[in-house]
Amino acid sequence: MFFSNANNHKNKNMFMKKLFLLTAIIIAGFSFAIAQKSITGKVTSKKTGAPLPGVSVIVPGTGKATQTDANGNFSLSNVPANSKITFSFIGYKAFESNLPAGNSLQIEMDEDARELSEVVVTALGIRRTDKALGYSVAKVDPDALLQKSEPDVLKGLQGKVAGVDIRSGQGTPGAATRIQIRGNNSFFGNSQPLIVVDGVPFSNDQVTTSNQASGGGAYSSGIANLDPNDIASMNVLKGSSAAALYGSRASNGVIVITTKSGSAKRTKGAEISLKSSVSTEEIANFPEYQNEYGAGSQFAYSNANGSWGPAFRNRDSIPAWPSYKAAYPELFPSANIAYRPDPGNVESVFRRGWVYENSVSLNGGNEKSSVGLTASHLNHKGYVYNSSYNRANVGLGASAKLDIGLNVSGNFSYARSHQEGGFFGENQIGGAASSFARTLFLARNWDYSLPFEDKNGLPLQHNVTGYDHPRWSAKYNTNNTNEERIVAGVHADFNINKWIRLDYTFGSNVASLDRREVTEIGSRAAAGLGRLILDNYRKQELESNFLITVSPRINDDFIVKAIVGNNVNQRTITNTTQTGSQFITKGIHTLGNTSQQQFTTDFYSRQRIIGLFGDVTVSYRNFAFINGTVRNDWSSTLPVENRSYLYPSVSGSLVFTDAFGIKSNWLDYGKVRAGWAKVGRDASPYSLEDVYTINPNFLGIPSATLPNTANSPDLKPEFTQELEIGAQLSFFKRRAEIDVTWYDRKSTNLIAIITTPASSGYGAKVTNFGGISNEGVEIDLTVRPVRTKDINWEVHGIFTKNKNIVTSLTGGVERIQAAGVIAGINPYFEPGMPYGYLRGTVSARDDEGNLLIDPVTGWMIQADDEQFIGNPNPDWKLGVTNTLTYKNFSLGVLWDMTKGGDMYSVTVNSLMGRGVTKDTRDRETSWIIPGVYGDPNDPGQPLLDGGGKKIPNHTAITTNDLYFSAGGPSGSFAINSSTEWQIFDATVYRLREVTLGYDLPKTIFNKTPIKGIRVSLSGRNLWHEAPNFPRYTNFDPEVNSFGATNVQGIELSAAPTTRRFGFNVNVTF
Amino acid sequence: MIMLRKIKNLIPLVALVSASSCEKNFLDINTDPNNPTAVEVSKILPTTQRTLGDALSLDENNGGLSNVLAVYAHQMSTREEADKYGMTGADPVIATPWAKLYSATANPGTSFPVYGVLQNLEDIIKNATEEGNLRYAGIAKILKAYSYSVLTDVFGDVPFSEANKLKEGVLYPKFDDDGAIYDALFPLIDEGIADLNNTTAANTLRPGTDDLIYAGNVARWVKAANTLKLKLYTQIRKVKNVSAEINALITSGNLISATNEMFVIPYGPNGATDDRNPGFFTYYATQRSNHVSPWFYEILKGYNPNILTGNPDPRLPYYIYNQLNATQASRDGNQTEYRDGPFVSIYFGSVGPDRDRTQQNSISLFGIYPVGGKYDDGSATIADANSGTGASPYRLITYADRLYLEAELIQAGVITGDVTAKLNAAIQESFKQVDYVITQWVKPAQSVPALTGAAAVTAYINKVMTEFAAASAQKKMEIIMTQKWLSSVGSSVDQYNDIRRTGYPVIFNPGDPAMAPGGFVQPPINGDPVNPGAQKRVPVQLSRTFALALPWDQTELESNPNAPAQKNPSSYKVFWMP
Repeated sequence: MFFSNANNHKNKNMFMKKLFLLTAIIIAGFSFAIAQKSITGKVTSKKTGAPLPGVSVIVPGTGKATQTDANGNFSLSNVPANSKITFSFIGYKAFESNLPAGNSLQIEMDEDARELSEVVVTALGIRRTDKALGYSVAKVDPDALLQKSEPDVLKGLQGKVAGVDIRSGQGTPGAATRIQIRGNNSFFGNSQPLIVVDGVPFSNDQVTTSNQASGGGAYSSGIANLDPNDIASMNVLKGSSAAALYGSRASNGVIVITTKSGSAKRTKGAEISLKSSVSTEEIANFPEYQNEYGAGSQFAYSNANGSWGPAFRNRDSIPAWPSYKAAYPELFPSANIAYRPDPGNVESVFRRGWVYENSVSLNGGNEKSSVGLTASHLNHKGYVYNSSYNRANVGLGASAKLDIGLNVSGNFSYARSHQEGGFFGENQIGGAASSFARTLFLARNWDYSLPFEDKNGLPLQHNVTGYDHPRWSAKYNTNNTNEERIVAGVHADFNINKWIRLDYTFGSNVASLDRREVTEIGSRAAAGLGRLILDNYRKQELESNFLITVSPRINDDFIVKAIVGNNVNQRTITNTTQTGSQFITKGIHTLGNTSQQQFTTDFYSRQRIIGLFGDVTVSYRNFAFINGTVRNDWSSTLPVENRSYLYPSVSGSLVFTDAFGIKSNWLDYGKVRAGWAKVGRDASPYSLEDVYTINPNFLGIPSATLPNTANSPDLKPEFTQELEIGAQLSFFKRRAEIDVTWYDRKSTNLIAIITTPASSGYGAKVTNFGGISNEGVEIDLTVRPVRTKDINWEVHGIFTKNKNIVTSLTGGVERIQAAGVIAGINPYFEPGMPYGYLRGTVSARDDEGNLLIDPVTGWMIQADDEQFIGNPNPDWKLGVTNTLTYKNFSLGVLWDMTKGGDMYSVTVNSLMGRGVTKDTRDRETSWIIPGVYGDPNDPGQPLLDGGGKKIPNHTAITTNDLYFSAGGPSGSFAINSSTEWQIFDATVYRLREVTLGYDLPKTIFNKTPIKGIRVSLSGRNLWHEAPNFPRYTNFDPEVNSFGATNVQGIELSAAPTTRRFGFNVNVTF
Repeated sequence: MIMLRKIKNLIPLVALVSASSCEKNFLDINTDPNNPTAVEVSKILPTTQRTLGDALSLDENNGGLSNVLAVYAHQMSTREEADKYGMTGADPVIATPWAKLYSATANPGTSFPVYGVLQNLEDIIKNATEEGNLRYAGIAKILKAYSYSVLTDVFGDVPFSEANKLKEGVLYPKFDDDGAIYDALFPLIDEGIADLNNTTAANTLRPGTDDLIYAGNVARWVKAANTLKLKLYTQIRKVKNVSAEINALITSGNLISATNEMFVIPYGPNGATDDRNPGFFTYYATQRSNHVSPWFYEILKGYNPNILTGNPDPRLPYYIYNQLNATQASRDGNQTEYRDGPFVSIYFGSVGPDRDRTQQNSISLFGIYPVGGKYDDGSATIADANSGTGASPYRLITYADRLYLEAELIQAGVITGDVTAKLNAAIQESFKQVDYVITQWVKPAQSVPALTGAAAVTAYINKVMTEFAAASAQKKMEIIMTQKWLSSVGSSVDQYNDIRRTGYPVIFNPGDPAMAPGGFVQPPINGDPVNPGAQKRVPVQLSRTFALALPWDQTELESNPNAPAQKNPSSYKVFWMP
């Protein structure tokens, strides 16, 4: 919950003290009541001198209270003598005054950074005090994301926010990161939170041009073009209660971001800050290779992929690689070459990567107007040759208060990014050419100092073919994406009188992407003839919000605030994809240079929502709060009779330490809260009526087909309900603070596509069915063991546990496939089972659980049916940040861990199956797989001896056979085995982030305009241990081949994670 | 107060804006402007025909049934799951044809266009019948019958009566008894013929070039339909007396009776669109897994000691393309498992050390006739996407097939006739059809000599007929079925049916001590030019016994609660098996 910096702590401490003081005064107030008089006065801002409207003016112990009017004036009558008057206002230090001698009082209130931070921006930009929240909202300090050698905003959040699950994709620059709040709530649709930037939804789509199982790129998602340097505040609305006002898309939680440029404060003066960082990166987890055996099988040399050949000590030469000898005969004067290891061959495929980030931001203004500007540039060169991500951002915002009392503000930002990278996926799929096909498991004797292309620029591989040389692939098979995003918004607000305020926001967020996927002539993909895929995607989102806020005065104890509003949202997507095949001439990558073209996609969709909503908050004496919301949506995507739907929420909080006047030495502050909400959600556009699709011509004849998915004319909205209960406690003068939340979220009657058997005629049908539940606990704990003048030590821990279960499907359906990944392993939904659990092929076992062994081969027999083989959802996550400050130095260390969650890994399977790591080094032995003989014709049936007894396996196999089996119905433990053997428990411990910062003494620059200089060193992903993967594979389960999609726990030759070291400078003027 | 009044005016205004916004115009935008809700049946027909071919083809990329069945019929060998009869229902080579046959569009995600047959056929039948365009309905019914006959033959019980009825509310079709499905196919074909012959129908839309098979030629469709019936009756002859029905068909004279009447799915070259036979994929596959079976090769070469011994088949360079020449070392720098001069392959059931060695640019491939690949003129070049046009059709039933069916029926005593003449005609037609396919569709860039009339062909046929004349009744049946098997290379569904129905041709059995003494097979001892006189014998094994049916698509079983448990392919019998 708290992302506090040192400053914050101090302020919080003061706030707590005041709370006690206040309570004490209230109690004391009862004992004195003598003479009375009337008071009038005016409250102004100490800093700007402007009058402050809406300040609470309370005479403690008397029940007397009022608010200042638009001109900052207030009046109170019959105030008892000896009373004190307290003034409180959001964003200002509470002020307490004795009664004046006369009848008038002038008060200047001081701004309070501490109090400001207690204001939480909730749904639709509504600000509430932390106390008043009946649900959990995490505030992220933007400083926690910056200058940490991590250019990705979401990755920067890892280990820092309770209740949030962040998973990386590929380890190459710009690759999408998946964020999830409190689990998956949707079967197939997007389960990622809604991201709202300056009041307008910010599309976070991952545009997938080519299937990521068979050669797609490390695609980024929309949030990548958000400039982290421009973030002024980030609030994570985790639960439905917090997000209910956003309606339809809030069921996955909401991240509310306010940019610096879009929220410039109207304060005097100007601030300029410069941030600059440089980091270097490398692969975090090279496997440890064996260098004793080269290519071949069963200790015999062959020009193979696997390193199961003879020991280097036993053979001194091999025939020269035929492809190399043909391409460069001059390099191979004799028929044979030395048989020796190239221990560094895998490392030689990569380079050192660099990340450069520079940003300047400027804020300034006066009491009437302000302007904010942020400009940033990121240049990230990945460790894979030709992989990079460049981004430039400019954000500008301004606000002004007009003389008629109207506040207007506007913001505009432009982002442009360019991502360059290769292709990934499962190389075994026909027509695929993964750049990581063999990269991490090169045969140990392959000499990688040799060229990767022949004299004509065609790829060369040691064993002829089967994959593209990784360096050739990096150079020629490229996936380039340009993205542009324009965000523009206007806001106006106006106080009609002291208790009615109008707010209007209109914004547009347009993201457009154009991508070129080039497969060069000579690649194993595209039949070796070359291919160009052009993808153009544009998403425009328009959002209009009109709010009327009414805060009438009821009496001194109760404060009521009511909001009614209207929201109109429109989303439009256009997407065209064109494929050109067979380059006419090599090296020119245009459609015109291809001899066959196809319009693959020409997609358009538009949807609209109109919402009307109300929100009422009642607070009692500033310690008890209740909030209720109701919203009705009308969606264009639902059938006319079902398009209107209504959903309410209610939440409340009680600061019980205030309410019951609890004073103790150990408990400073205590608040309990509870919330319940229901959120409705509509369908995707065009889900009601079936359409035909037009196919490419065949033999020159036009043709069409019915679609794979059958639509339904009778869809209804789906609903998610959530109950959450939480508490915030502070102990021993804030030596320890804890925030605990339990939630139970249930989504029912989901609009989803149900997988139907092919025999029904369709692969899927859109319908309402099923249920998903997420139940979990979030704990945020801060402990401050040392707090002295010079040394401060703070430990901040977060704990997230979420249980994501599919509660029901539809009548008679046992399970449905969540996505088609590859044969033998796919994610599934099944009632009572974890969301998207992995189901795949298993080895047959007898009734006692013994493995059944084929007596002929000595390998395990594959069962006919697929079974549960893994649950990709982690059991829990823990992050612990230690912050130690000593004078001008500060040290931050973040450890985190993920317990459980299974992963299917092609990388590990290949490392083992190809015999390249030290795991399989000791191989001059044979093995007997423990089990009993079984009948390969009838998997599951053991073979019996004459006496009717099972026969223990005694067929020995080699180490080679243990990890590499021929195809067919029996298999061993790695290549060509049942997929259950490639599933590993993905528990991982990690030293995520280390930062050492130093604030230069002011004396150095006190004659310059510089206000502060901070330098820091940062390290990222410095160490990890995933104990349940084979030891020498060093596998880091924090990769995922499917980026920001719902398919998790599957790694298909993904690019490994990175380790970075950086140096950062931050100068403020 | 003035302010308050303003507000009072404002609140209804907001409500008004929203209410009027809810008006139809603003929210009634949920119609996809880019895809049609209705198309003419003539646009759907080509999709179904082409996809039927794809689903049955040798396709090793997206999966065609022949990719498995050619291995089970021992014309192809592979390292993939089909080896040792190990195919499981989880394999895409089963799942994709299953989905192609039943669905409207099979699950996307593959690089190749994947559409569906039966759902689209049902759509044609429904719309064409409503519109009175009965020729389309007739063609669709015949294609539907053909598709179901294949599904039943290879899988046994399959969804039929409740299949393709999702729009009528059946999400999970039951599996029907295979015999009952067959019973329903004959009337379905008759309905199709009746629709084609219906002269009172409006037929405002008549099939033309959109009918890829017969370009709307009704007479040929009727012949194809009748020949399909002949095939289906022959298929069930062991469990039912079908003499009367078959005699009636033959007497009618309305069967496929000429080379150009063959019932095939045409393919084209890689032109404006990629129209190639999916079996051609091997030519540009990144990892070639379709090997030509040594068993098949040896019979073609006349090496098999039991049949056609010493009678080399002149179709060899049309059937098989060798990337190597007779003396060249493996281009991949690896030891071969099976080598006979230019011919390189691996054995079915092999567990030999050289089986898995890369031979990408050295193995022999199916040639110009089965897949539109390269005619083997001895050039010994590496096969690639430019080695052929890929424009060879997938043959459903040819005139030669009809003649072989009759020869089988005569030999089995179901009908009467001169079996020798029938077999001779069938073999002659088989050679003729190779020439026809190459000139009519493949249209190669290289020059390919004609088989018809070649002396070697005459010599070959004479020798076969001599062997036939001397053979026992049983051997006669073996020769008929073996010739049919040789003739139908590339279209393996009927080969698999024939083997299960008649036991012929004899297929390689690694467990048979006569074929693999001591569990070893011996490639031609001097076949390897690199190590003459030293070609190693190869250990072979079987994991499972011969599969009597293919396992059902596992995805279907997983997603259909009305599906049975997965079968044991080694013991599951299709109803027509004795």
